[in-house]
Order: sequence, then structure tokens, then C-alpha cells
Amino acid sequence: MENVILEVKDLTTKYVTRFSEDVYAVDHVSLKTAEGKTLGIAGESGCGKSTLALSLMGYYFAPLHYISGEIRINGRNISSMDPDEIRKTILGTEISYIPQAAMNALNPTQKVIHFIEDVIQAHNPKTSKKEIYELARERFEILGLPADVLQKYPVELSGGMKQRTVIATSVILCPKILIADEPSSALDVTSQKMVIKMLRDLMENGFIKSMIFITHELPLLYNVADDIMVMYAGQIVEQGTAQEVVFDPLHPYSKGLMNSIIVPENGARGVKLSAIPGTPPNLKKPPQGCRFAERCKYVQPTCKTHEIDLQESEDGRAYRCAFSQNYLRKAYKNG
Amino acid sequence: MKTALQQVFHSRKFVTGFAIFMAILLTVFLYPLIIQDEPLAILGQGNFFPPGIYVNIYDSIHSKSYVLNLKDAASKRIGKILTDQSRQDIKEWLVSYGVPEDQIDINDTESLLSQWEENYDSSISLPGMTFAKQRYFQRLDESVNGLLSSEGVVISEVNQETGNLDQTNTIDQSEYVHINEVANVRILPLGTDNFGRDVLTELVKATGVSLKIGLIAGVVATLIGLTLGLLSGYVGGLVDDIIMFVTNLFTVIPSFVLLILISFSIGQDNRGATTIAVVIGLTSWVWTARAVRSQVISLRNRDHVNLSKLSGHSTAHIILNDILPYIASYVVMALILQVSSAILSEASLSILGLGPRTTEVPTLGLMMNWAMIYQAHILGKWWAYFPVIVVIALITFSMNLMNTGLDQVFNPTLRD
Amino acid sequence: MKKYRNYFVNKLFWLLITTIFAFILNFTLPRLMPGDPVAAIMARIAQGMSNSTGMKEVYEQYAKLFGTNQPILEQFFLYIKNVFHGNFGTSFSQYPRPVSDIIRSSILWTVCLQFPAIIIGWLIGNMLGALAAYVKKGYDKVLMPVSIFVSNIPAFGMAVILLVIFGVYLRWFPTSGGYGFDLIPNASWKFIWSVIVHYQLPFWSIVLTTIGGQAIGMRSMSIYELNADYVKYSRFMGVKDKQIVGYVFRNAMLPQVTGLALSIGTMVGGALVAEIIFSYPGLGYTLLNGIMGQDYPLISAVTLIITVMVLLANFLIEIIYGLIDPRVKAAQSE
Repeated sequence: MENVILEVKDLTTKYVTRFSEDVYAVDHVSLKTAEGKTLGIAGESGCGKSTLALSLMGYYFAPLHYISGEIRINGRNISSMDPDEIRKTILGTEISYIPQAAMNALNPTQKVIHFIEDVIQAHNPKTSKKEIYELARERFEILGLPADVLQKYPVELSGGMKQRTVIATSVILCPKILIADEPSSALDVTSQKMVIKMLRDLMENGFIKSMIFITHELPLLYNVADDIMVMYAGQIVEQGTAQEVVFDPLHPYSKGLMNSIIVPENGARGVKLSAIPGTPPNLKKPPQGCRFAERCKYVQPTCKTHEIDLQESEDGRAYRCAFSQNYLRKAYKNG
Repeated sequence: MKTALQQVFHSRKFVTGFAIFMAILLTVFLYPLIIQDEPLAILGQGNFFPPGIYVNIYDSIHSKSYVLNLKDAASKRIGKILTDQSRQDIKEWLVSYGVPEDQIDINDTESLLSQWEENYDSSISLPGMTFAKQRYFQRLDESVNGLLSSEGVVISEVNQETGNLDQTNTIDQSEYVHINEVANVRILPLGTDNFGRDVLTELVKATGVSLKIGLIAGVVATLIGLTLGLLSGYVGGLVDDIIMFVTNLFTVIPSFVLLILISFSIGQDNRGATTIAVVIGLTSWVWTARAVRSQVISLRNRDHVNLSKLSGHSTAHIILNDILPYIASYVVMALILQVSSAILSEASLSILGLGPRTTEVPTLGLMMNWAMIYQAHILGKWWAYFPVIVVIALITFSMNLMNTGLDQVFNPTLRD
Repeated sequence: MKKYRNYFVNKLFWLLITTIFAFILNFTLPRLMPGDPVAAIMARIAQGMSNSTGMKEVYEQYAKLFGTNQPILEQFFLYIKNVFHGNFGTSFSQYPRPVSDIIRSSILWTVCLQFPAIIIGWLIGNMLGALAAYVKKGYDKVLMPVSIFVSNIPAFGMAVILLVIFGVYLRWFPTSGGYGFDLIPNASWKFIWSVIVHYQLPFWSIVLTTIGGQAIGMRSMSIYELNADYVKYSRFMGVKDKQIVGYVFRNAMLPQVTGLALSIGTMVGGALVAEIIFSYPGLGYTLLNGIMGQDYPLISAVTLIITVMVLLANFLIEIIYGLIDPRVKAAQSE
């Protein structure tokens, strides 16, 4: 039996816009990650991926609000914990985070080492500066970063270097799980490769036990993730292994996403590049019934009136569509 | 564009500012239709009449009289003249004249006044008393004279034939006139200024003129700023370097000093309201130029602009169609700020004595200047300067609110 | 440190250019206009001003001093030479007092009034603005509209209001002058006390007008910084809130420092008008007297001094800014 690190059940969170409208960007989401595994989360921008990333940490501040659900790390429920307790004992030590815009994730007027000092001392006030410096230097060197980065201000670093600095900082306290939100999307191809390699090294070096990788770039996800979860309009629409979701997508939206990319692997060749027409629904007023119905090629009248549950099969796959697996596969084959 | 406008009117700040500004603007337009006085007509002989209702005495005498027996009328009449202060003053005079202090009771009106009548002599000059103080006691004597009498006042006219005074009427202490039946009643809600002019009428006119100055200056500054900003942002290269050099120069050289130098150099005779407005505009384009430039630079390499370039459109066409619409909101915001700061500049300049030299129209700054020169603030004549400050503050306040409202809509990262 | 030296040299060079430019403007503007100084003198003589022999003397002295008969370029160099010798000519309105003498007696009043007032107003305004951004509820809702309105009261308006309330009605402070009119400047306690008492109203009126604008600027800067990505990241790394607030305010303060450099000219302008309201014996009041007396040499000297003071203040702020913001040094290396 694999060792489950993070388990999320029915998590619902909302954020409040400045016109006091509620947006349920994470709507009854459940997921699991096991030791040594990477879970990929895919979806268009605005589908709730980033909000999910923030919600998973159990640390909420305006405009994000917790509504319901459970978050368990190694079986310990953190969703009912006091925020200050979470800050001290969970953030950075149990769960860590690489933000979307890592370019601006470091305080521009603070040297990297001083931020690392603040992070470590926020959890272990007694650690001396010398110890911190030694730890940081060693860690940076293992991860292939020059030690003099520590003495620099973020403005003095290049984009890729900044990104890798953020990654190294995020895992400085050896968290059990790392959530990486589009960690490479703003970088050039070379830097991207280095970042991905670095993320892989983290797990091999034992700095983290498991990872959640969020991106809108599916080819990348296929290379990095063991399991993939597809999100649409705040909900999970498909879950499965990377192999399954990429080469045998069940939900029409996943199918559309796979079609919209070229995967240079066998079996995917020759598939026409086709973007999904239309735009995601407005989450301030989500549509009745299936949220994808407006854009779905295979839509039936009942799709727009009936709420559709996530259908879970015994092999661990799940998809949110009224049709049967066989029906869908046949429909895709016929185009 | 339509939705942007709708959003603008959803912003509470913008709407509040807009409402205040519109109220000011409406007053400026509607007031002259109702009160058709010349704004600078000198009504009062003397300066700083307090705000209130002025009833013509001559007309009151000839109006129909009504007898009202009000029991506190006499005590009110006495109280109006014999205030606590003047009772104290009477005592002071009597004591220094030689009346023993314990014999004087300032609360006993009758005995106090009789002691006064008995002893006071305007020809006596007491030691240590200034001339002003002596004049004060003479005036006090006149006003308390006959205060306790219950007799009426006799009205008499000169008989044209005999040259004698003929008694035409007596007015009892209990007679009243109805204010609506008096032919001439003038309300001066804000009194008169140092020249005896109606402050409210003047203020409304001055607000209009100041807004006009603000608008002219704002338009001039915005046009210059926009042109320079577009040129330096879009053309770039050497043009950009030159324009930025000039802009940076004028950013650090205080525009206030430039304004003083130019206004002074123009000379007193040439300083009309419009000239001043143009001069203010000429010295305050810097911020607009900077803002427009940075916006244009961020737009310059956008896809739609590149597309337009590839389609072979001329620079003018690209600027008009692909750049201007995107910076329109910034330009409007800059214009609003320019207008309000121009109004302030005019006021500061006028206080320095370098404001528009005009005999036909007032401006807010000139009103402030006059009030300061005639020491309205030291003399406690609040109506001559306070309304001016309030109007200036309201104009700039409303414009800043509109600006913040626009900013929140068009610049959502700076939201709160 | 080398990078900072580059920055310093750069700014020093800029100070030099702007100062030269200020000299040129101060020299040419009045000469481009119909009422040039010599014409002004002639007009005064023609109008039969009180002291016409005196004015003739001034005219001759002026023509010699400024070489009005020489080509314009030579006049300019003569002008600069004179300025550096502290020679601004003779005042028209206070003949035969030299302008430099008048300036010398008023400049200290202005520096001692405006410099501390602007700095303190800036500090208080920034603190209030940061507080407003951080506390938000209540404070932000109630005090912010009030302070926006207050900040829209022009400098002279604030001066008049304070003067009327505390000078005329409450009689706590004198309404005009830099010291009691019955005193002669000396080092006695009585004189110093008088100066302190006279200082209060002009000082606070400048402080109050400075606070409003700064508070509003600092508030929106702080809100902007509070929404910055590094704040979110620091929070999710478990950094203490107190420390994050520290980052935010430091970073929000930095643009406020440049903001001070850019707006110091406007502030000084407003403060000069406040001086006039209080008849404070500084440069503002001197300027007013110069304008009233059509005193060209005096006006020219005062405007030049004010400009140079503003440029210097600007330079100082930029230098300090370079020391406290690491981004400046990074930018220099590019």
C-alpha cells in the first residue's frame, strides 16, 4: 500500500471580488497524493487551478475564504487548525509553495539570505544566522545554485536564477509536499528545462516527498506528473494516471485539451490541432447542469438541466460526464 | 466603451465627486439667471457688512404697522446694547472716575444707567485712557441714551413751505412691520466684502472664472503633455532623449517659480484671466507628458500596433487609431488633475499679487487676495475668505474623487 | 560601492545641468518680456517715484553691474559672476539696501520653517497612510475621506484657518511675524521664546497640508505592496505577519522618498504662500514685498534662491534614496 501524504476531501473555497461577489473557484474538490508521486493539475487559465493551489495550504486570508472540506497531511486534519498554528507548524515545513509569478515572489529590497533567515526563524526562532547560512549554502550547492546568490538582491538575479532561488527557498525546511503553480511558464526554454530538472532533483534528494504540479502546458505535465487531474470551472472533470488522461481522455473537455496540443509520442501523432471554441463560464453565476455544456460537441438537452456528479470507476479513474466510457470512446473515434 | 462608462458610474467615489462638481457647475450657470446683479457692483458704503437680511429703514417707517405686545421686548432691547461686556466697561469708567466700586451693581440696569447719566461727561478725559477708548465711551453713551424710556420715536419731515419740522408720525415701541410689506429688503447671505460688494454674487462669478481658467490651463497643459508624450513614447530614439531631457528639467525646476517669473515679466497691464490661464498651462504639462510617454511605451509593441504597422498605416493613423483610444482614460484623468491644480495655482499666484489684473471679473484667488490685504481674517470677517476656501477645497476634492474613481476602474491593480 | 559612486556622479552632474538651466531661465525670462528690468527702472523714474535721484543712481549702478549695454551673452556671464559673488544688485523698493542683504535676513527663516515642517509632515503622513492601509476597517472608512478632504484644502487655506482659530479666536499664538514686533533679534530667552511661539502656526499649517497628500500616497502604495506577490509568497512560507508588514512598509516608503523629491518644488511653493499669510519674515514674504514694490532685482534673486534650494533638496533626497534602495545600485550596473 502506498503511503498517502496529502488527502483532500470535498474542499470548497470561495473568493470575494471587490464588488462583494462570491466566486466559488474550488468546488467540492477531492484528491490524494502518495509518497514519491507527482500529481499534475491541468486546465485553462481561470479554471480555479491557482485558487486550488492556495486553498490546499489551509491558510486563508482575504479575498480567499474557506467554506468546507478536509485537508489531511499524513492523516492530520489541518483544516480545523488555528491559522497561527498552521503558519508555525505547517507552512514551509509540511506544505510548501512555488508561486505562479516567481519573478516577483522575492522581496526586491531584501537579500536572499535575509529572507531565508526570516523563513527559518519564523519556525525555529533559536536557529543562529550562521547555521542558517551554512544550511542555505549547502542546499543551494546541492541544487546547483552558486552560493553568492544568497548575498544578492533579487533584482540582481536573472529570471531563471530567481525562479530557481525561489524553488530552493521553498524547500529549505524539507516540506513533505510541494505545490508548484506554473513554475516555468514565464521562462525561456533553457531556463524551463533547468527548472524542471531541479524539481525532479528535489524528490531524488529527499527534500520533498511528493509534489503537486499545476500547469496549462499539457506536454510538460505528461513529462513530469504520475497522475493528472483536469479542472474546469472550479470542478474536477477528470482524474487518472498521466498515461490514461493523455492518451485515453474520457471527458469531452479533456479530449479537447489533448487535441489542442501536439504530443510528440506515438499514438498522438496525426491528431489535428484544434482549440476548444468558446470561453469558460463566469464563476460568479455558474450555469445550471454541466458547466462544460455550452462548449461541448456532444451536448444533449439534459446536460444543461441536470447536475452531473463525478463518476468514479474502481481503477481510480474518474470523470464528470453523463455518458458512459464506451459511448465517449466511440464518439471520439468517429471524430 | 459603454461598459467602462457604466463601471465608472458604479464607482461611489466617482459619483460623489461628479455630483459635487455638477452642483458647483449648475450654481455657476443658474445663479446669474436668478440674481442679475453685476458681480462687481459696489452695493455697500463701507466694508465687510455681515451676512444677513437688510431691511430698509425708510421703507419700514412708511409701511403698515402692527402692534404686538410682547413682554420681553424691552429687556431684549436693553440686552442688545447693554451686554455683559459693556456693563463691565461702564463700571470700569465709573470706578476710574471716582465712584466707589462697592456702590456699583452691574446687574441692576436702572441704577447702573442712572449712575452713568449722572457722572458721564464726554469732555472729561480720564488718565491712561487711549483716544480709541474715549471714542468708544462716547459711542456707548449715545447708544444707552434713552434706553430705559418707554416713549416712542417721533418722525418729522421738513415742511417745504415753512421750512419747519412737521411731526408726521410717531412710532411706538410695540409697533412692527411685516417684512414682506417693506418694499426694499436685501438678503446678503454672505455679507459684503472690503469694497462693499455682495460676496455671494461675486463668489459665484469668481467660481465660474476660476473654473474657466482651470479648464483653459488644463487643456493647454494636456495638449502639450499629450503631444510630447506621444512623440517621445512612440517615435523614441533621439526625439525621446531630447523630450525626456526637457521634461526632466521642468520636473525639478519648480513650476511655481516659473509661474512667478513669467507672470511678473508679462507685466501688470497684460495679465488677463486668459493670459494667466495659458501661462499656468505652459508651466504644468510635465506630469501629463511623463504619464502619456510611459503608457505609449507599454503600448508600442502590442500586437495590434504591430499589426497596424505591418499593414502600412501611417504614424498619424496608428497614433490616432491604435494608441490614443487606449490612453484616453489616462489623458482624461490627467486633464482633471491639471484643471484642479491650475485653479490652485491661480489662487496662489493671486495671493502673491500676481493674479489676473482685471476690473470686470473676480477669481477665487483675487477674492482671497482682497480678503487678505484688507485683513478680513484678523478682523473676524469670516464671510470674506472662508467661503472662498471652501469652494476651492470642494472643487479640488470633487475632482480628486472623480479621478480616484476613474483610476479604480481603469487601473484595477491599485484598487483597495 | 563603485555602483553607488556612478549613481552619485550621475546625480551630481544632473544637479549641475539643472542649476545652469535655472540660471538661464532666471536670466532670460524677464528679458524676453516687455517689462525688462531696465525699462522698469525707467518707468519708475518717468512716473516720478518718490526717490527719483535714488532711482537714477540705481539705474546707473545697474547698467554697470549687469552690463545692459553689452551683448546678451556677455550680460549672462556677468550675471553669473555677480550671483556667485553674492551680488544681486540694489533693491528698488528698499533703496539703498542691497538685495543680498535682504535675502540673507530672510533665508534662514524659510529654511528653518520649511525644512523641518515638510520632513515632519512627510513622516506623519506616511505613518498615517500605512496605518490606514493596514488597519483598513473603520479607520480607513472614516478617516480617509476626511483626510482626502483636508488634503484638498490649499496651503494658504489651511494657514488662514489655523490663524483664525488659534490666533484670532483662541489667541493661543500670535497671528503674524517671526517674533514679537517690540523685540530686537538677540540671544535672550525672551526673544527665543517669542520666536518659538511665532513659529507654531506657520509650522503646523505646512505640516498639516503636507500630511494629507502623503498619507493618501502612502496608503495606495501600501495597498499596492500588500497585494504584491512577495507578500503572498512570504505568507505561505510561514513568515510572521509582523515581519511581512515590515517588508511592505519599507518598500512602500521607497517610492514615497522619490515622490518627496519630485513634489518638493510644489510643497515649497505652497509653504511660501503660507509664509505670506502669517507675514513670516522668510523668502515668501520677501517675495510678496518685492512684487508689491515692483522690485525686479529682489524678485529675481528670490526666485533664483528658491529654485537652487529646491534643486539641492532634490539632490539630497536622491542621494539618500540611492543609499537605501538596493534597486538603484542594481540598475546602475546594467
